[in-house]
Amino acid sequence: MTFGLSSTSDKSVLKLDPRTKLCLLTAISLIMVGGKTVGAEYILRVICAAIPFILLLTVRHIKSALIYMILLGLSVFCEGSVIPHISGAANLILMIICGILSRFVPGYMMGWYTVRSTSVSEFMTAMDKMHVPYFITIPFSVMFRYFPTLGEEYRSIHDAMKMREIGQSVKNPFTYIEYVLVPIMMSTVRIADELSAASLTKGLCAGGRRTHICQINIRLYDRLLIIGALAMIVLFFVF
Amino acid sequence: MEKKFEIKDLITVGIFTALYFAITFAVACIGFIPIFMVFMPLLVPIFAGIPLMLYFSKIKHFGMVTITSVIIAVLMFITGHPYPVFIFCIGAGLLTETVLKTGHYQSIKSCVIGSSTFSLWLLGMLIAFFFGFREAYLNSLVDGYGQEYVDKMTGYTPTWVFFAMIAMCIIGGLIGGLLGAKVLKKHFRKAGMA
Amino acid sequence: MIAFKNVTFAYSATDADGRAVEQGSISGLDLTIQNGEFVVLTGGSGCGKTTVTRLINGLIPHYYNGNRNGEVLIDGESVPDTPVFETAKKVGSVFQNPLSQFFNVNTTDEIAFAAENQCCEPAEISKAITETAASMQIEKLLDRNIFELSGGEKQIIACAGINVLSPDIIVLDEPSSNLDSEAIEKLKAVLTDWKSQGKTIVIAEHRLYFLRELADRMLILENGRITKELTAAEIKALTISDTEKLGIRPMMRPEIHCSHQNKDIQGDVLLLEDFCFTYKDGKHGINIPRLELPANRIIAIIGHNGAGKSTLARNICGLERRCRGTLTLNGKKLKAKDRLHHCYMIMQDVNHQLFTESVRDEVMLSMTDKSLTDEQKIKRADEILSQLDLIEYADTHHMALSGGQKQRTAIASGIASSKPVIIFDEPTSGLDLAHMKQVSDQLKKLKDMGKTVIVVTHDHEFILSCCDHIVRLENGCAAENCPLGK
Repeated sequence: MTFGLSSTSDKSVLKLDPRTKLCLLTAISLIMVGGKTVGAEYILRVICAAIPFILLLTVRHIKSALIYMILLGLSVFCEGSVIPHISGAANLILMIICGILSRFVPGYMMGWYTVRSTSVSEFMTAMDKMHVPYFITIPFSVMFRYFPTLGEEYRSIHDAMKMREIGQSVKNPFTYIEYVLVPIMMSTVRIADELSAASLTKGLCAGGRRTHICQINIRLYDRLLIIGALAMIVLFFVF
Repeated sequence: MEKKFEIKDLITVGIFTALYFAITFAVACIGFIPIFMVFMPLLVPIFAGIPLMLYFSKIKHFGMVTITSVIIAVLMFITGHPYPVFIFCIGAGLLTETVLKTGHYQSIKSCVIGSSTFSLWLLGMLIAFFFGFREAYLNSLVDGYGQEYVDKMTGYTPTWVFFAMIAMCIIGGLIGGLLGAKVLKKHFRKAGMA
Repeated sequence: MIAFKNVTFAYSATDADGRAVEQGSISGLDLTIQNGEFVVLTGGSGCGKTTVTRLINGLIPHYYNGNRNGEVLIDGESVPDTPVFETAKKVGSVFQNPLSQFFNVNTTDEIAFAAENQCCEPAEISKAITETAASMQIEKLLDRNIFELSGGEKQIIACAGINVLSPDIIVLDEPSSNLDSEAIEKLKAVLTDWKSQGKTIVIAEHRLYFLRELADRMLILENGRITKELTAAEIKALTISDTEKLGIRPMMRPEIHCSHQNKDIQGDVLLLEDFCFTYKDGKHGINIPRLELPANRIIAIIGHNGAGKSTLARNICGLERRCRGTLTLNGKKLKAKDRLHHCYMIMQDVNHQLFTESVRDEVMLSMTDKSLTDEQKIKRADEILSQLDLIEYADTHHMALSGGQKQRTAIASGIASSKPVIIFDEPTSGLDLAHMKQVSDQLKKLKDMGKTVIVVTHDHEFILSCCDHIVRLENGCAAENCPLGK
């Protein structure tokens, strides 16, 4: 399970501010899902589809960038050249698959880039700078911290079940789920307790102001990209 | 009534949202098999409802469920899901908040109903697939294929699917909530933990 | 200066039926700790030493609720009347469980966390982190994922976080319970450094040997009262029989050595062949081409963190499917998959291996023999439970049990599974003397039943109390394999 932001600082070529990434994400999600495939919007779509590709290359995710390009290329090709020549159920299925791919994959890839290239501390700092209130930011960072713990807990429980040979003997799927979930839920309660205590002694205070050692800055290219993203959104609504 | 959140509340929100989200994610992975995809709004709430009930039993303040829904919305958005997810998440969150509040954050019955209303956020993820997508897609087809073809296409993805999904969310949420209540009674009450 | 004036505290909790109950913790405590003093609190589990640390850092009454009387003052200010946020400036805390005391995923963020909460200047925090890292020699631990670190490294990160804010008082609640001897040495170095800076240190601990030269005063608690107070000179003079009488762990780390008599194994043999296994990161693993162990003995596997102790245990148990090694037992050659039917492991955190709603069900879950009727199973389960003094808890949920009772429940289901090999992973981490002895008695009972017991541990006191044979691992290889010299 590798969802959650990356844990250490990012070593990419082009370091974008998380706010820029959010802006681009908004633009891509708006234009790719809602846009038409003809006219001026077609050009916007091409630009939007290209952004995640380039950004993935900057963080050296070359393999995923290539897979993305191939998927997108295939679905665009099918929409343009294959679908008009076939009919019936095959036409419908192919059309739905290609439609979903060409519209949603750019957004997912941009999301994947955002997740992979942003560290938890950058994300938290960005949220603070955007004046997101503490009652959103604190649960958020707790959540990112808890994902890896969940993975560890799940693995231990899985091992224990294997060792006690419970997996095979349990026929009822609900009993199986109960055996996995209940220990996880128990430790969730316990960790919530202990973590709250530890955080209090470290001076975490609801509503108190904090500083961040992590520095994020809007640089020139961040500005350009934000303006570009906003321009695309405006253009999209005008047309 | 608006009480300030304590650290303990916020950490509870964070940890349980993580657990809820992880289970949703794990179940949704099954959704990559196309047949299960259709039943996702039924399956996800059944499994995720179990820890959700434990979470609800820990809630003492107004607002915690709403925060969970906002967090899920942001998380879905930054992982690339389209924007309608915001509207549905926060809507479902507020609705659940109201349901729990009418039970004064204590009644098991309102927790079970809450589990089912909270599941409605899943529609936000699916609506884009089925409808936002359909309208825009069909509109773009008009130029290339003509109105007649488009009308035929609309027939293939009928509107009742949407209502079927609402029903699945609600039923799945109810089953999950009831299972969760059973697990709470069986394990957590006995151990003095809920 | 920290002053306790006639402090009494009882936790409020709910019992299994949902009624509110009070659990007494400390009563009538009078204690003054001078600035710069190093105070060790010790005593059996539940003696109230953790409660004392919580009263100092303000978690009582600001987090743990209960019935409180008397005054707790730091430099004349009342802790209960000060917000925890303010107390945090003066008191730093280190906890027992490295898993749940971190708020961040990144080590540098975690070190900075307490200072960030006090709104210190980012530039100053970064400077303090660099200095701390240099003085504690942990540069290579900065900007890492905390989940990749060992327990000892995590505890050092917790200490580094305290150094950055540099409070005058530091309380530690059983910081060594998950650490091996090497990590304990590092912790000791940090403590020595703090002491030389003139910080007031209050540490609640079971393991005492590493505090011998540091402690200015040691308080032994029992049922929430101080029963014995020792000065620095008295602490250094304590012999093993003295500590035994006081019911605490010894002040010196007993050495473990091989016996040079009867090197050949008598009786049945457990033969491990071709135990070569590497984790996917390519760094950690084990490499044991051949190892002969005596059957029906208690075998300790020792070695530093990262030497492969737990990996070996997991492989013996059959939990790593990629391991191609075989274990020969009673003439049968067992592959990884078959070993799962023959080995039972009691994990470090037993919470992970208990699933059902009562202790009896837990034991019955292990009985996979289909020829038994339910009544026979219940009868057998009750027999096992009486052997382990658990019969009165047969219908209790395991979450309502104490740590030791949970461990015994796990042992009981191990016995019920009738597997011949029982493996323990760090069974005594964080146990007081009495409980450690209890565990060693359980192990001896298992041996009497004819089981082969394998224990992964770094607790020398425990090894001497019950083990027959030791295997020392170094970098994944068996460096020593011999009977234990008494």
